[in-house]
Amino acid sequence: MPFEKVNSKVVRVPVTAQSPVLARRGAMLGYTGQVAFRPIHGQGQGVGGMIGTAMAGESNPMMATEGTGSVLYGFRGLHVTVIELTGDSLTVEADRLLAHDANLQTSVEFIGQGGIRSAVRGAMTGQGLFTTRISGQGSVALLSHGGTFPLQLTGETVGVDPQAYVGHTGALNVDLKASVGLRDIVGRGSGEAFQLHVSGHGTVYVQASEEKF
Amino acid sequence: MAVLTADKKVLHADLEGDSLRAASGSMVAYTGKVEFKSAGMGGGGGLRAAIRQRVAGESISLMTCSGAGRVYLAQNAMDVTVVQLQNDRLTVESEHILAVTDGLQLDVQFAGLRGMTSGQGLATTTVTGTGQCAILSEGPLIALAVNPGEPLVVDPDVYVAGTGQTQMSLVSGVSWRSLVGEDGGEPFSLRFEGQGIVYIQPAER
Repeated sequence: MPFEKVNSKVVRVPVTAQSPVLARRGAMLGYTGQVAFRPIHGQGQGVGGMIGTAMAGESNPMMATEGTGSVLYGFRGLHVTVIELTGDSLTVEADRLLAHDANLQTSVEFIGQGGIRSAVRGAMTGQGLFTTRISGQGSVALLSHGGTFPLQLTGETVGVDPQAYVGHTGALNVDLKASVGLRDIVGRGSGEAFQLHVSGHGTVYVQASEEKF
Repeated sequence: MAVLTADKKVLHADLEGDSLRAASGSMVAYTGKVEFKSAGMGGGGGLRAAIRQRVAGESISLMTCSGAGRVYLAQNAMDVTVVQLQNDRLTVESEHILAVTDGLQLDVQFAGLRGMTSGQGLATTTVTGTGQCAILSEGPLIALAVNPGEPLVVDPDVYVAGTGQTQMSLVSGVSWRSLVGEDGGEPFSLRFEGQGIVYIQPAER
Protein backbone atom coordinates (compact mmCIF):
# COMPACT_ATOMS: atom_id res chain seq x y z
CA MET A 1 0.00 0.00 0.00
CA PRO A 2 1.46 3.39 -0.91
CA PHE A 3 2.16 5.88 1.82
CA GLU A 4 0.79 9.33 1.10
CA LYS A 5 2.42 12.45 2.53
CA VAL A 6 -0.09 14.90 4.01
CA ASN A 7 2.62 17.52 4.49
CA SER A 8 6.34 17.38 5.07
CA LYS A 9 5.90 15.97 8.57
CA VAL A 10 2.80 13.77 8.47
CA VAL A 11 2.17 10.62 6.43
CA ARG A 12 -1.18 8.93 5.73
CA VAL A 13 -1.07 5.14 5.52
CA PRO A 14 -3.91 2.96 4.28
CA VAL A 15 -4.31 -0.24 6.31
CA THR A 16 -6.15 -3.34 5.12
CA ALA A 17 -6.54 -6.85 6.51
CA GLN A 18 -3.91 -8.09 4.03
CA SER A 19 -1.45 -5.29 4.65
CA PRO A 20 -0.93 -4.33 8.27
CA VAL A 21 1.62 -1.65 9.10
CA LEU A 22 4.39 -1.51 11.68
CA ALA A 23 4.98 1.90 13.22
CA ARG A 24 6.95 3.54 15.97
CA ARG A 25 5.01 3.23 19.20
CA GLY A 26 3.10 6.41 20.01
CA ALA A 27 3.47 7.91 16.54
CA MET A 28 -0.22 7.62 15.65
CA LEU A 29 -1.82 11.03 15.24
CA GLY A 30 -5.29 10.00 14.12
CA TYR A 31 -7.15 7.36 12.17
CA THR A 32 -10.38 6.55 10.38
CA GLY A 33 -12.03 3.14 10.12
CA GLN A 34 -11.66 0.06 12.27
CA VAL A 35 -8.04 0.02 13.34
CA ALA A 36 -6.36 -1.60 16.33
CA PHE A 37 -2.86 -1.00 17.70
CA ARG A 38 -0.89 -3.81 19.27
CA PRO A 39 2.58 -3.45 20.80
CA ILE A 40 5.16 -5.82 19.41
CA HIS A 41 8.62 -6.76 20.53
CA GLY A 42 11.68 -7.87 18.70
CA GLN A 43 10.34 -6.48 15.44
CA GLY A 44 8.31 -9.61 14.83
CA GLN A 45 11.14 -12.05 14.39
CA GLY A 46 10.48 -14.36 17.30
CA VAL A 47 12.86 -15.05 20.11
CA GLY A 48 15.98 -14.78 17.97
CA GLY A 49 14.99 -11.37 16.79
CA MET A 50 14.25 -10.26 20.31
CA ILE A 51 17.62 -11.30 21.57
CA GLY A 52 19.22 -9.68 18.56
CA THR A 53 17.54 -6.35 19.14
CA ALA A 54 18.17 -6.43 22.87
CA MET A 55 21.84 -7.06 22.27
CA ALA A 56 22.03 -4.46 19.58
CA GLY A 57 20.45 -1.71 21.59
CA GLU A 58 18.41 -1.16 18.45
CA SER A 59 15.32 -1.71 20.54
CA ASN A 60 12.96 0.79 19.15
CA PRO A 61 9.47 0.15 20.51
CA MET A 62 7.21 -0.62 17.59
CA MET A 63 3.52 -1.33 17.29
CA ALA A 64 1.46 -3.17 14.72
CA THR A 65 -1.50 -1.41 13.17
CA GLU A 66 -4.18 -3.85 12.04
CA GLY A 67 -7.68 -3.58 10.66
CA THR A 68 -9.18 -1.55 7.85
CA GLY A 69 -8.86 2.19 7.56
CA SER A 70 -6.28 4.91 7.17
CA VAL A 71 -3.88 6.14 9.84
CA LEU A 72 -1.91 9.37 10.20
CA TYR A 73 1.60 9.08 11.58
CA GLY A 74 4.02 11.77 12.72
CA PHE A 75 6.64 12.14 15.41
CA ARG A 76 7.93 15.20 17.29
CA GLY A 77 7.55 17.50 14.30
CA LEU A 78 10.37 15.73 12.49
CA HIS A 79 10.44 15.60 8.70
CA VAL A 80 9.24 12.43 7.02
CA THR A 81 10.78 10.84 3.93
CA VAL A 82 8.89 8.05 2.15
CA ILE A 83 11.01 5.48 0.34
CA GLU A 84 9.46 2.86 -1.95
CA LEU A 85 11.24 -0.46 -1.95
CA THR A 86 10.86 -2.70 -4.99
CA GLY A 87 12.74 -5.78 -4.02
CA ASP A 88 15.85 -3.92 -2.91
CA SER A 89 16.93 -3.26 0.63
CA LEU A 90 17.27 -0.17 2.81
CA THR A 91 19.79 0.12 5.62
CA VAL A 92 18.80 2.56 8.32
CA GLU A 93 19.04 3.09 12.03
CA ALA A 94 16.03 1.75 13.91
CA ASP A 95 15.27 5.00 15.72
CA ARG A 96 14.75 6.73 12.39
CA LEU A 97 11.92 4.40 11.39
CA LEU A 98 8.49 5.96 11.58
CA ALA A 99 6.42 3.29 9.81
CA HIS A 100 6.75 0.57 7.23
CA ASP A 101 4.66 -2.14 5.60
CA ALA A 102 4.52 -5.20 7.82
CA ASN A 103 5.14 -7.33 4.74
CA LEU A 104 8.69 -6.04 4.56
CA GLN A 105 11.41 -8.13 6.15
CA THR A 106 13.50 -6.43 8.80
CA SER A 107 16.69 -7.73 10.26
CA VAL A 108 19.23 -6.33 12.63
CA GLU A 109 22.65 -6.28 11.12
CA PHE A 110 25.94 -6.25 12.91
CA ILE A 111 28.02 -3.71 11.07
CA GLY A 112 31.14 -5.10 12.67
CA GLN A 113 30.93 -7.77 9.98
CA GLY A 114 32.89 -5.42 7.81
CA GLY A 115 35.87 -5.96 10.04
CA ILE A 116 37.33 -4.05 12.91
CA ARG A 117 37.11 -0.74 11.07
CA SER A 118 33.35 -0.93 10.76
CA ALA A 119 33.09 -1.78 14.41
CA VAL A 120 35.20 1.23 15.23
CA ARG A 121 32.92 3.33 13.06
CA GLY A 122 29.90 2.45 15.17
CA ALA A 123 31.69 3.10 18.39
CA MET A 124 33.24 6.39 17.31
CA THR A 125 30.21 7.95 15.71
CA GLY A 126 27.79 6.92 18.42
CA GLN A 127 25.72 5.05 15.89
CA GLY A 128 25.96 1.77 17.70
CA LEU A 129 27.31 -1.39 16.19
CA PHE A 130 24.06 -2.47 14.62
CA THR A 131 21.77 -1.13 11.95
CA THR A 132 18.43 -2.31 10.67
CA ARG A 133 18.07 -3.70 7.18
CA ILE A 134 14.65 -3.62 5.53
CA SER A 135 13.98 -5.51 2.33
CA GLY A 136 11.09 -6.60 0.14
CA GLN A 137 8.34 -4.69 -1.61
CA GLY A 138 6.57 -1.82 0.10
CA SER A 139 6.92 1.63 1.61
CA VAL A 140 9.07 2.89 4.46
CA ALA A 141 8.65 6.25 6.22
CA LEU A 142 11.85 7.63 7.75
CA LEU A 143 12.34 10.46 10.25
CA SER A 144 14.92 13.18 9.82
CA HIS A 145 15.71 16.60 11.22
CA GLY A 146 15.17 19.13 8.46
CA GLY A 147 14.33 16.70 5.69
CA THR A 148 16.57 14.42 3.65
CA PHE A 149 18.11 14.77 0.25
CA PRO A 150 19.15 11.76 -1.84
CA LEU A 151 22.60 11.44 -3.36
CA GLN A 152 22.69 9.05 -6.33
CA LEU A 153 25.88 7.08 -6.64
CA THR A 154 27.05 5.38 -9.80
CA GLY A 155 30.41 4.05 -8.85
CA GLU A 156 31.91 7.16 -7.31
CA THR A 157 32.63 7.87 -3.64
CA VAL A 158 30.94 10.48 -1.50
CA GLY A 159 31.89 11.61 1.95
CA VAL A 160 29.08 11.99 4.48
CA ASP A 161 29.10 13.41 7.98
CA PRO A 162 28.24 10.50 10.32
CA GLN A 163 25.71 12.64 12.18
CA ALA A 164 23.95 13.66 8.96
CA TYR A 165 23.80 10.13 7.50
CA VAL A 166 20.23 8.78 7.52
CA GLY A 167 20.33 5.56 5.51
CA HIS A 168 21.06 4.05 2.13
CA THR A 169 19.63 1.72 -0.51
CA GLY A 170 21.43 -0.36 -3.07
CA ALA A 171 24.79 -2.07 -3.12
CA LEU A 172 26.83 0.43 -1.20
CA ASN A 173 29.92 0.08 0.86
CA VAL A 174 30.09 2.34 3.92
CA ASP A 175 33.44 2.90 5.50
CA LEU A 176 34.60 5.24 8.25
CA LYS A 177 37.53 7.43 7.49
CA ALA A 178 39.25 9.24 10.28
CA SER A 179 41.60 12.05 9.47
CA VAL A 180 42.46 13.02 12.98
CA GLY A 181 45.50 15.20 12.92
CA LEU A 182 47.40 17.22 15.43
CA ARG A 183 44.99 20.09 14.86
CA ASP A 184 42.04 18.06 16.13
CA ILE A 185 43.87 17.02 19.26
CA VAL A 186 44.63 20.61 20.20
CA GLY A 187 41.05 21.62 19.42
CA ARG A 188 41.75 23.50 16.21
CA GLY A 189 40.24 20.99 13.82
CA SER A 190 37.75 21.68 11.09
CA GLY A 191 35.07 19.65 12.85
CA GLU A 192 35.10 17.10 10.04
CA ALA A 193 37.58 14.62 11.46
CA PHE A 194 35.29 11.64 10.97
CA GLN A 195 33.63 11.00 7.65
CA LEU A 196 31.72 8.10 6.19
CA HIS A 197 32.99 7.20 2.77
CA VAL A 198 30.17 5.67 0.75
CA SER A 199 30.95 4.02 -2.56
CA GLY A 200 29.20 1.76 -5.06
CA HIS A 201 25.84 1.93 -6.81
CA GLY A 202 22.81 3.15 -4.92
CA THR A 203 21.33 6.10 -3.07
CA VAL A 204 22.43 7.68 0.20
CA TYR A 205 19.98 9.75 2.21
CA VAL A 206 21.47 12.71 4.07
CA GLN A 207 19.69 15.11 6.41
CA ALA A 208 20.25 18.87 6.57
CA SER A 209 21.33 18.80 10.17
CA GLU A 210 23.85 17.15 12.44
CA GLU A 211 21.29 16.28 15.05
CA LYS A 212 20.81 12.67 16.12
CA PHE A 213 17.84 11.32 17.98
CA MET B 1 35.45 30.69 -8.36
CA ALA B 2 33.32 28.51 -6.12
CA VAL B 3 29.59 28.72 -6.86
CA LEU B 4 27.06 28.61 -4.04
CA THR B 5 23.43 27.59 -4.60
CA ALA B 6 20.88 27.34 -1.82
CA ASP B 7 18.39 24.46 -1.83
CA LYS B 8 16.07 25.28 1.08
CA LYS B 9 18.03 23.96 4.05
CA VAL B 10 21.11 22.74 2.18
CA LEU B 11 23.82 24.78 0.47
CA HIS B 12 25.47 23.31 -2.62
CA ALA B 13 29.00 24.58 -3.05
CA ASP B 14 30.66 23.65 -6.35
CA LEU B 15 34.43 23.82 -6.18
CA GLU B 16 36.74 23.73 -9.17
CA GLY B 17 40.14 23.46 -7.63
CA ASP B 18 39.58 26.55 -5.48
CA SER B 19 38.48 27.04 -1.91
CA LEU B 20 35.85 28.59 0.30
CA ARG B 21 35.37 29.12 4.00
CA ALA B 22 32.43 27.54 5.84
CA ALA B 23 31.27 27.20 9.43
CA SER B 24 33.21 24.42 11.19
CA GLY B 25 31.42 21.10 11.19
CA SER B 26 28.71 22.19 8.74
CA MET B 27 29.60 19.65 6.02
CA VAL B 28 26.91 16.99 5.68
CA ALA B 29 28.18 15.33 2.49
CA TYR B 30 30.54 15.86 -0.41
CA THR B 31 31.47 14.36 -3.76
CA GLY B 32 34.82 14.59 -5.47
CA LYS B 33 38.07 15.32 -3.72
CA VAL B 34 37.73 17.97 -1.05
CA GLU B 35 39.92 18.69 1.96
CA PHE B 36 38.67 20.27 5.18
CA LYS B 37 41.01 22.33 7.32
CA SER B 38 40.48 24.73 10.15
CA ALA B 39 40.74 28.28 8.83
CA GLY B 40 42.64 29.23 11.93
CA MET B 41 42.21 32.07 14.34
CA GLY B 42 40.09 34.94 13.13
CA GLY B 43 38.41 32.76 10.54
CA GLY B 44 41.15 33.50 8.03
CA GLY B 45 40.72 37.21 8.54
CA GLY B 46 44.28 37.73 9.61
CA LEU B 47 45.90 38.65 12.88
CA ARG B 48 43.94 41.83 13.43
CA ALA B 49 40.64 40.00 13.10
CA ALA B 50 41.89 37.33 15.44
CA ILE B 51 42.83 39.83 18.12
CA ARG B 52 39.59 41.73 17.78
CA GLN B 53 37.70 38.50 17.97
CA ARG B 54 39.40 37.63 21.21
CA VAL B 55 38.66 41.05 22.69
CA ALA B 56 35.03 40.95 21.59
CA GLY B 57 34.45 37.38 22.64
CA GLU B 58 33.07 36.71 19.21
CA SER B 59 33.07 33.04 18.43
CA ILE B 60 33.22 32.43 14.73
CA SER B 61 34.88 29.21 13.82
CA LEU B 62 35.48 28.58 10.15
CA MET B 63 37.05 25.84 8.09
CA THR B 64 38.56 26.00 4.64
CA CYS B 65 37.15 23.59 2.06
CA SER B 66 39.45 23.20 -0.92
CA GLY B 67 39.58 20.88 -3.91
CA ALA B 68 37.26 19.92 -6.72
CA GLY B 69 33.74 18.62 -6.27
CA ARG B 70 30.48 19.51 -4.64
CA VAL B 71 30.14 20.09 -0.90
CA TYR B 72 26.74 19.95 0.82
CA LEU B 73 26.64 22.27 3.80
CA ALA B 74 23.86 22.54 6.36
CA GLN B 75 23.47 23.40 10.00
CA ASN B 76 20.73 22.44 12.40
CA ALA B 77 18.08 22.27 9.67
CA MET B 78 18.17 26.05 9.32
CA ASP B 79 17.16 27.76 6.07
CA VAL B 80 19.96 28.90 3.76
CA THR B 81 20.02 32.06 1.63
CA VAL B 82 22.81 33.11 -0.73
CA VAL B 83 23.56 36.83 -0.91
CA GLN B 84 25.57 38.23 -3.84
CA LEU B 85 28.02 40.98 -2.99
CA GLN B 86 29.40 43.34 -5.67
CA ASN B 87 32.11 45.33 -3.96
CA ASP B 88 29.65 45.64 -1.15
CA ARG B 89 29.44 45.31 2.58
CA LEU B 90 27.22 42.93 4.53
CA THR B 91 26.87 42.99 8.30
CA VAL B 92 25.91 39.58 9.68
CA GLU B 93 25.41 38.10 13.11
CA SER B 94 28.37 35.74 13.30
CA GLU B 95 26.48 32.57 14.14
CA HIS B 96 24.41 33.08 10.99
CA ILE B 97 27.33 32.75 8.56
CA LEU B 98 27.36 29.40 6.78
CA ALA B 99 29.89 29.99 4.00
CA VAL B 100 31.79 32.72 2.15
CA THR B 101 33.60 32.45 -1.16
CA ASP B 102 37.15 33.63 -1.77
CA GLY B 103 37.33 37.31 -2.49
CA LEU B 104 35.31 38.23 0.56
CA GLN B 105 36.98 39.49 3.71
CA LEU B 106 35.61 38.89 7.16
CA ASP B 107 36.13 41.35 9.94
CA VAL B 108 34.77 41.85 13.41
CA GLN B 109 32.97 45.04 14.30
CA PHE B 110 31.86 46.21 17.67
CA ALA B 111 28.13 46.35 18.01
CA GLY B 112 28.10 48.31 21.23
CA LEU B 113 25.03 48.49 23.37
CA ARG B 114 22.90 46.50 20.94
CA GLY B 115 24.91 43.36 21.48
CA MET B 116 24.46 43.60 25.20
CA THR B 117 20.71 43.95 25.07
CA SER B 118 20.21 41.11 22.66
CA GLY B 119 22.67 38.90 24.47
CA GLN B 120 24.74 38.21 21.39
CA GLY B 121 28.07 39.46 22.52
CA LEU B 122 29.66 42.76 21.71
CA ALA B 123 30.48 42.24 18.09
CA THR B 124 29.09 41.38 14.68
CA THR B 125 30.91 40.28 11.55
CA THR B 126 31.23 42.37 8.44
CA VAL B 127 31.74 40.73 5.07
CA THR B 128 33.23 42.97 2.37
CA GLY B 129 34.28 42.48 -1.23
CA THR B 130 32.87 40.68 -4.25
CA GLY B 131 31.52 37.16 -4.03
CA GLN B 132 28.81 35.08 -2.43
CA CYS B 133 27.89 34.75 1.22
CA ALA B 134 25.49 32.07 2.49
CA ILE B 135 23.56 32.99 5.61
CA LEU B 136 21.49 30.84 7.94
CA SER B 137 18.10 31.71 9.37
CA GLU B 138 15.57 29.96 11.55
CA GLY B 139 12.74 29.88 9.00
CA PRO B 140 12.87 31.61 5.60
CA LEU B 141 14.86 34.85 5.51
CA ILE B 142 12.85 38.04 4.95
CA ALA B 143 14.41 41.04 3.19
CA LEU B 144 13.07 44.46 4.21
CA ALA B 145 13.98 47.68 2.40
CA VAL B 146 15.11 50.79 4.21
CA ASN B 147 14.66 54.05 2.30
CA PRO B 148 15.49 57.64 3.27
CA GLY B 149 12.60 59.04 5.25
CA GLU B 150 11.23 55.54 5.88
CA PRO B 151 13.04 54.16 8.88
CA LEU B 152 12.59 50.49 9.75
CA VAL B 153 12.27 49.15 13.28
CA VAL B 154 12.95 45.46 14.03
CA ASP B 155 13.25 43.26 17.09
CA PRO B 156 16.94 42.69 18.01
CA ASP B 157 16.25 38.97 18.37
CA VAL B 158 15.16 38.53 14.75
CA TYR B 159 17.85 40.68 13.10
CA VAL B 160 20.18 38.55 10.96
CA ALA B 161 22.01 40.79 8.49
CA GLY B 162 22.00 44.09 6.66
CA THR B 163 23.56 45.74 3.60
CA GLY B 164 23.81 49.27 2.27
CA GLN B 165 24.27 52.61 3.94
CA THR B 166 22.19 52.35 7.06
CA GLN B 167 22.62 53.72 10.55
CA MET B 168 21.51 51.48 13.33
CA SER B 169 20.25 52.81 16.64
CA LEU B 170 18.72 51.19 19.65
CA VAL B 171 15.24 52.29 20.64
CA SER B 172 14.26 51.70 24.21
CA GLY B 173 10.67 51.32 25.19
CA VAL B 174 11.44 50.97 28.87
CA SER B 175 9.07 53.02 31.01
CA TRP B 176 7.50 52.80 34.45
CA ARG B 177 5.25 50.06 33.04
CA SER B 178 8.27 47.78 32.47
CA LEU B 179 9.34 48.30 36.04
CA VAL B 180 6.02 47.04 37.37
CA GLY B 181 6.01 44.17 34.87
CA GLU B 182 3.20 45.50 32.71
CA ASP B 183 5.16 46.04 29.48
CA GLY B 184 4.36 44.68 26.06
CA GLY B 185 7.35 42.36 26.03
CA GLU B 186 9.31 44.49 23.56
CA PRO B 187 11.64 46.60 25.70
CA PHE B 188 14.23 47.21 22.97
CA SER B 189 14.05 47.58 19.21
CA LEU B 190 16.56 48.29 16.47
CA ARG B 191 15.92 51.29 14.24
CA PHE B 192 17.49 51.53 10.79
CA GLU B 193 17.75 54.77 8.82
CA GLY B 194 19.27 55.46 5.43
CA GLN B 195 19.29 53.30 2.32
CA GLY B 196 19.72 49.56 2.29
CA ILE B 197 18.28 46.14 3.00
CA VAL B 198 17.77 44.50 6.39
CA TYR B 199 17.35 40.71 6.63
CA ILE B 200 15.29 39.24 9.47
CA GLN B 201 14.18 35.74 10.39
CA PRO B 202 10.66 34.72 11.45
CA ALA B 203 11.83 33.41 14.82
CA GLU B 204 13.17 35.11 17.91
CA ARG B 205 16.41 33.78 19.29
